[in-house]
Amino acid sequence: MATTTATVSINSSDLIPGQPLSINASHTLTKSGLTEGLEIVDIGRGELTEASATDALAEAIGTTDSSNWLYLCNKSTNDLHYIQVGIHDIRLGFLGSGEWMWMPWNQGDAEAEINIEAEGVTGSTIPYEYAIFQEAKTLPAKT
Amino acid sequence: MATINATISINSDIMSYPININTSMVMNKFQSCHGLEETSGMNVKKFNATTAVKIVDNTEGTASKASKVYIRNTGSSKTNFFYVAFADGAAASDSTETIGKLYGGDWMLVPWLALAAASHDIHVAPSTTEEMTLEWMVFQE
Repeated sequence: MATTTATVSINSSDLIPGQPLSINASHTLTKSGLTEGLEIVDIGRGELTEASATDALAEAIGTTDSSNWLYLCNKSTNDLHYIQVGIHDIRLGFLGSGEWMWMPWNQGDAEAEINIEAEGVTGSTIPYEYAIFQEAKTLPAKT
Repeated sequence: MATINATISINSDIMSYPININTSMVMNKFQSCHGLEETSGMNVKKFNATTAVKIVDNTEGTASKASKVYIRNTGSSKTNFFYVAFADGAAASDSTETIGKLYGGDWMLVPWLALAAASHDIHVAPSTTEEMTLEWMVFQE
C-alpha cells in the first residue's frame, strides 16, 4: 500500500499585528472511507498559451464521488501571469505567478473536469506543474 | 504590506521512485508583487448536522482581487467527512459545484474567485451527525 503525505505551513509575522501566524498541518491521502492509501498518480509539467481556449487538465473519468487530490503550481516568474482554475463551469480562482494550490477533487459528476486557462499577457506562455493523486482511474476509450 | 509564506511538501512512494514536491509561495495581490493584507482570521466551528452551511460569503471578497482559502477537518476519522462546494451544492455528491471531500486531518488551500454571486459562496456539508470540527481562514487583498 502506498503512502502519500501532504504537509503545509503558512506563516506570517506581520499579517495580524502582534499575533504571528503559524499554521502547520499534515495528512495522509486515503481512499474514500478507508485507511488504505491512494495508489495512482499523474504527474507532469506543461505550458499554457494566453488567448488560447480553456483546457481540461484532467477529465472526471475515474470513480464518481471518490478521493482524489490536485496539486497545481504556476511556474511563471512574471507577476502579470496567472492561471484561471475551474471545475467544469465553476471558476475557482486565479493562481498567480509562483503560486500553488492543493485541493480535494471528488469527481462528483462526469462533467466535473479540472480546467485551466492562461491569462495576463497576450500571447505569452505560462509554465505549470501538476500532480493528481487518484483513488481510481479509467483510461480513455480507444478511438 | 504583509508577507504570508505558504509551503507545501508532498511525499509519496506510489511509484518505484520517490515523489518529493516542495514548493513555497508568497501570497500576493492580483498581478502584483505586493502581499495580501487582509484576513478573516482563523475560524473554528463544530458541526453536528448534515445540513449544508455557508462558511465563506462572496461579499467577503472582491472578484478582481486575489483571495485564498485554507480549510481543514481537524478530526481523525477516515469514515466521516465534509463536502466542500461552491453554492449550496455541498449537500450533493453528484454536482459540478462540489469541489471534494475532507476526511479527518485533510486540508486544502485554494485560490478563491469572489464573484459577486451566491454561486461563489463556499459551503460545507458534514457526512454525519456525529460531531466534527472544521477550521478555515481566508486571506484577501
